[in-house]
Amino acid sequence: MNDAAPIRRRSTVRTAGPSDQRINDSKTQSQYQPYKDAAWGFINHWYPALFSEELGEDKVEGIQICGVPIVLRRVDGKVYALKDQCLHRGVRLSAKPMCFNKSTITCWYHGFTFDLDDGKLSTIVANPHDPLVGTTGITSYPVEEVAGMIFVFVREDEFPLDDVPPLAHDLPIRFPDNNERFPHPLWPDAPSLMDEGAVALGMHRTGQSNWRIACENGFDNAHILVHMDNTIVHALDWVLPLGILPDHEEPISLIEDEDGPKGMMQWLFTDRWKPVLENEALGLKIDNLKGRFYRTSVVLPGVLMVENWPEEHIVQYEWYVPITDDTYEYWEVMVRVCPTDKEREAFKHRFDRVYLPLCLRGFNDCDLYAREAMEEFYADGTGWDAEQLVATDVSPITWRKLASRWNRGIAQPGKGVPGATKTSSIRLRRLAQGKAPGYFVEKIDDVNNY
Amino acid sequence: MLTTTETQAPVTTKVTLTFSDGIAHELAVEPGQSVLDAGLAAGLPLLHQCRSGSCSSCFATLAEGAAETLPGCGSSLLAAERAEGGRLLCVTAATSDCRFVLPYDSKVGEQRAAEGHAFVNVVERVAADVMRLELELAEGCWFDLRPGQFIRVKVPGTEQMRSYSVSSPPSALPKIELLIRLLPGGVMSQWLLDSAAVDDVLEISGPYGSFFLQDGNKAPHVMIAGGTGLAPMMAMLDTLRARPGRKPPILLSFGCQSAEGLFHREAIALRELWLPGLTVQISVDRGPAPEGVRVGNPVQAIGADGPLDPATVAYLCGPPGMLEAGRAHLLKLGLAPDNIHMEQFSAS
Repeated sequence: MNDAAPIRRRSTVRTAGPSDQRINDSKTQSQYQPYKDAAWGFINHWYPALFSEELGEDKVEGIQICGVPIVLRRVDGKVYALKDQCLHRGVRLSAKPMCFNKSTITCWYHGFTFDLDDGKLSTIVANPHDPLVGTTGITSYPVEEVAGMIFVFVREDEFPLDDVPPLAHDLPIRFPDNNERFPHPLWPDAPSLMDEGAVALGMHRTGQSNWRIACENGFDNAHILVHMDNTIVHALDWVLPLGILPDHEEPISLIEDEDGPKGMMQWLFTDRWKPVLENEALGLKIDNLKGRFYRTSVVLPGVLMVENWPEEHIVQYEWYVPITDDTYEYWEVMVRVCPTDKEREAFKHRFDRVYLPLCLRGFNDCDLYAREAMEEFYADGTGWDAEQLVATDVSPITWRKLASRWNRGIAQPGKGVPGATKTSSIRLRRLAQGKAPGYFVEKIDDVNNY
Repeated sequence: MLTTTETQAPVTTKVTLTFSDGIAHELAVEPGQSVLDAGLAAGLPLLHQCRSGSCSSCFATLAEGAAETLPGCGSSLLAAERAEGGRLLCVTAATSDCRFVLPYDSKVGEQRAAEGHAFVNVVERVAADVMRLELELAEGCWFDLRPGQFIRVKVPGTEQMRSYSVSSPPSALPKIELLIRLLPGGVMSQWLLDSAAVDDVLEISGPYGSFFLQDGNKAPHVMIAGGTGLAPMMAMLDTLRARPGRKPPILLSFGCQSAEGLFHREAIALRELWLPGLTVQISVDRGPAPEGVRVGNPVQAIGADGPLDPATVAYLCGPPGMLEAGRAHLLKLGLAPDNIHMEQFSAS
């Protein structure tokens, strides 16, 4: 070390902390510090990757979850998932899928070939005896396919496969199993993806905000206001309250079963939450309240369940799957148990004509732009300190604490992946071409044309 | 003279590898085996990465004897480098007994203590006799820290060095948190009380010590901490929380002499929130004890609620008396001696 070298501080930014007068003061905030650290999501959890119909036999797709690039391939009906980043030079295998047999996928650039099962480097096309063969590989991800959805366990490279929990641990609680604990006298048992004969219909699209902003919107009871004039509300003659306020020492119950999902249930449409029907200052008064009975709960890694929504015997699930720290894949899925083809067709018919345009679009579109409206405030990290939460925010605060406790890992910022460098020339070029940062890997369609 | 034209010897050859610090090792290399493979098999700290003759991490210079590229392998070396004796060990076969010189010393593959500077970020009194000192490594300085290890700090204005366990996990680097016990008349204590201020610069070195969290053990963990012996446990707890995979059950037993000496209770409570598998027992040697704190020593608290899993791994840090009592107690509870890790601190 040169003695004359000046001793300098590293360049860092210091910000002032929140005041002690607030509901989310420094002490409360420190309780959910792990959540504040999870800009890129919670890793080592099950996430939806694709609808089954999006990955036909022998098809390959590339996606990104929690900053982890993932390539999926279906062979003989079974779906395999590997890290979509060749260990050689980082090329995405899915950009130009090359598969010479049923058990491998090959990097189209230099021919590194990986076993679908475990990601092991099984050969190199033009260098079959390279000593590297068999000694290394890329990370593989466990896959489950239920009710028309493909789920992937997105893990850190070192997360042991033996420790992978069942998919059900990252899905909403089920009924009638939980009827005693969480009774619902106003509606029938909500179906589950895991029920026999369950059919999941829905859509997924990319939202331009942090996943946490999106997730908290899903169970934020004060946001009814934004839905006041949605078409479905008028079409079905619903009259919504101005809002609902917690009115009980336990408006929300935690779900922390040892061998099951971890999350929280909100006691909506019980005496634990009271509707707000009047605001004198603004001269607002709601008469003839005619809402729809529903109940929201959320489990890790951020799965919303809306029971009895939008009609009886249907449940709406939502996921806010982190892609980067400023994009998430928004999944809106409706589940109904359809034991016969006829019921299946009827569900699809109504989904296409009513639920899709009026609920997943109309109603939930409203949520998408509401989340984006918050994004800039939180994007640089200052919003988490600057936000001034109020009584109804018991929901996000409870969620933040329980997520801090039960997450299986905090995703590190993506390495060498889209969105890791916000101003990469490729990202900028794509933007100039009118392509927003998204979920899927763009494929090279014409090998002779660029 | 170097010879490069002989064909490969059909027999085992004797190869000497000399590190830049003069340390030399002799190896037996089998026919068809690369020198790198033979060296790694013998446990030598040889730098390498691609193992296929391209990245050049395993570059070495042939000083005596003959060595050729293994049949069927390529090497990214320039002809001029080869002519001067350059070889990539991962693709090199010894064709006679020979000697290579490595461009790095024998310690490179091992962890080494570094010297550097750190700025003071926070000086905070957390108990009657405990200070929390948060440092931040200066630009260009880095420590290859493991959770549980300690660093040495030069007391400003003196030539005296003091050792302190780091209470923050390696993931918090460049920040380093220390929990320092105040001693009447101690030079460090004096500096902390009288003159330490934000932005002061300290000379430090580290990391040191073989007391650190062992990798990957899923057996239950027991941690016994006396006073500022809590520091390495905090670093281990935060590391365990971030470690991928199922987390072991952890029992932390933390003890201080009296209620005035207790500190870090909020920090511990946060870890209880964040780590569902963590159980904490806090004790004071003599009462009165605040609510939730037992009177007694932290060792006795272990095993009081039932037998321990015999595979339990234990970490102890505190004064010598506590360690001796703790070790005897844990052995009696059926723990294997190898699974009891201890760090002793003495007041200075």
